[in-house]
Amino acid sequence: MKIVDVDKLSDLAAALAAKGYRIVAPVRDGDVVRLKQWKRGECVVLDAFTVNSVKDVLIPPSEVIGRYALDGDDFTPEAVAAEAPKTVVLAARPCDAAAMAVLDAVFNWDFADTFYNARRAATTIAALACRQADEQCFCTSVGGAPDSTAGADIILRPADGGKRLTVEALGEKGEALVAAAGEVVQEGEAAADAVAEVPVRFDAAALAARLAENFESPLWQTLSLACLGCGACAYACPTCHCFDIQDEGTRRESVRLRNWDSCGFGLFTQHAGGHNPRPDQAARWRQRVMHKFLYFVERFGRLACSGCGRCARLCPAGMAMADSCAAIEAAAQKAAKR
Amino acid sequence: MNALETLRADAARLLGEGRAKVVIGYRTRGKKRAPVFITDAAGAGSLVYDAACRQNLAAYLRKPEVRTLLPAALVASPPVMRSLVLLAAESQIGEEDVVVLAVGPASEGSGEWRYHGALTLAETARLLKEKYALLAPRPELLDQIQSLAAVSVEERAAFWHEAFAQCTRCYACRAACPACYCTVCLVEKNVPQWISTAARPHGNYAWNLIRAFHAAGRCTGCEACEAACPQGIPLMLLNVLVAEEAAEAFGIKAGYDLDAEPLIGSWSADDEEDFIR
Amino acid sequence: MSPQADRTTGEKAAAGQPVGTAFEPRIVALVCTWCTYAGADLAGTSRLRYASNVRIVKVPCTGRIDPLFVLKAFEGGADGVLVSGCHPGDCHYTSGNYHARRRWAIFRRLLEFTGIDMRRLFFSWVSAAEGQKFADLVNDVVEKVRAAGPFERTNPARRRP
Repeated sequence: MKIVDVDKLSDLAAALAAKGYRIVAPVRDGDVVRLKQWKRGECVVLDAFTVNSVKDVLIPPSEVIGRYALDGDDFTPEAVAAEAPKTVVLAARPCDAAAMAVLDAVFNWDFADTFYNARRAATTIAALACRQADEQCFCTSVGGAPDSTAGADIILRPADGGKRLTVEALGEKGEALVAAAGEVVQEGEAAADAVAEVPVRFDAAALAARLAENFESPLWQTLSLACLGCGACAYACPTCHCFDIQDEGTRRESVRLRNWDSCGFGLFTQHAGGHNPRPDQAARWRQRVMHKFLYFVERFGRLACSGCGRCARLCPAGMAMADSCAAIEAAAQKAAKR
Repeated sequence: MNALETLRADAARLLGEGRAKVVIGYRTRGKKRAPVFITDAAGAGSLVYDAACRQNLAAYLRKPEVRTLLPAALVASPPVMRSLVLLAAESQIGEEDVVVLAVGPASEGSGEWRYHGALTLAETARLLKEKYALLAPRPELLDQIQSLAAVSVEERAAFWHEAFAQCTRCYACRAACPACYCTVCLVEKNVPQWISTAARPHGNYAWNLIRAFHAAGRCTGCEACEAACPQGIPLMLLNVLVAEEAAEAFGIKAGYDLDAEPLIGSWSADDEEDFIR
Repeated sequence: MSPQADRTTGEKAAAGQPVGTAFEPRIVALVCTWCTYAGADLAGTSRLRYASNVRIVKVPCTGRIDPLFVLKAFEGGADGVLVSGCHPGDCHYTSGNYHARRRWAIFRRLLEFTGIDMRRLFFSWVSAAEGQKFADLVNDVVEKVRAAGPFERTNPARRRP
């Protein structure tokens, strides 16, 4: 089997960088661990819960999708190519890798998004199976696993007590990466370490039906009372993909931007006429849960949640998708008993 | 009874007597603490308080859903008490809306805390003046501000460029802050769009500065914004910079006086103008 | 003002226009109608010469000036900003300038702390009778900003599409 020593990870990154890959990996940044462009000399942090997800690589928080030169009444569009450097995400968590299937579906639904697809094609994901999970992880409740290979081009598995990683290429991109890595990845033997245990917290399949029946439930008010309506969860989430189009310009030039947006904001559904069909946070929280566990299932046949738990870790108000799902399941079971 | 038991007993009593329809406090959530909304006296047992409680619960008083549950009893540490007094001074809440479950450090620097009791806003303002008049920003913040002020303007620009580059415009800082209660935030106004909503340098620069400016003379140093920021941006450096200027140049410290005039919005003929030609 | 006059030295060079060696700073002046703008008018009718680098934005009163206006001026590429109004006690609206004075005191600290060079931001009181003061002030501001150089590269507020 192919293996790489954990203390040679920086060498691996350097070898790949020398072959033209932009390396994105979890690195320490002040008090947090962030998935960002790796620089020579930086340490790749394994088993960390990054504040951001692989989504950032495929959909940046703000990108230019149109550029126009203006001259009085004349208007000249300029070609804008997607910025899609050849990239490898090193040590992505399997939940992030699995999440990309959701983005692939949305960005190729009724329209093939050239910007997303260019970056997707240029990105190789080297997922690292999880040895550690925390109380916010719930990948196993949504059809995932701490060693899932879904969405990954390479799966790295911790071995020999965390000293080594086994390297398994899963397809063309993965094989190209292993070839580019050269001697840092060696042939050898290693004993795979135990993978993290992630207890199942709720039944996602049953949840869809329960959600459909409980649109008007007063439970949404209770569940959402702590929510302050910011965008922290949506922006950290690897499957959330909603965006806002903004034009910014002067007399002489204008750019069209695609920016992240969040259904948690009141402004998200605010109509120009003043009406808001989701007038309170309960309606907005309900939408978040139902989009991920019902609507997306109905439309694309898959959940729009990979159980990474970032929303719960980062929420300043202690909200958690898994808590709401478990609460709905508990309420439904209680109602069924009567 | 110890402090926590007394707090819980008071919470249960207020709910039982109907003097509060909801108790807003903290519950344990793994290693962290999260806000809890208790409407039944039996639930008061889930209330906790310790140094890990970082949210400013006064922020919830702007939510219409919470306002339907007034009067509310809120667990309030000194910065949160100051926020409540500030909200009253700005006519956002009245005596009839809140009961303050006042908590504070048992003694300077100790990890222990004490419960001052269930107070009115007037009693809270008095308590703040008597026991917490000398609240100051953490020395580390003041040191860091001083260090930054001492380097060149280009170095400062580089520091903040890097810090603001992490901003994704999630507005968790705004959501966590009790002073940010505008129903439509300036950044949400688009006729015209004064502040770019894109997570790009010019928009992030404008947002973070204007947010700090709108909190001028109103920030009570609770640090909920920085705790809420998922990206670890050092927001308190900006807030403390402005709060120190408000205190030194204009003698204003937010949240001690129910009848205080706002910093920005009032003026004195003696205000400094050595920078004006 | 024609687009060519708007351009900085760098833009002129890129457009193939003849380029002088001196950098011409772009200054935005936010001035109140009743005092400073009238003072600027007086400078004009008195035929006093002052640098043409300044773009004057007239507002009713300095009390109207949101600190955002200063930010937007830098965002749009100003190398320097001048904010000017009635002397304390002389405000046409009685106290607008007092409100402004406090805002400026706080906001300039934020700007300075986050990387806007204070060599590029000026505040003044110029009355309707102070035509000479206005002219001298503008000339001084332009020279100081010229000495500080173009702000384009290091301006943290600059919009760069």
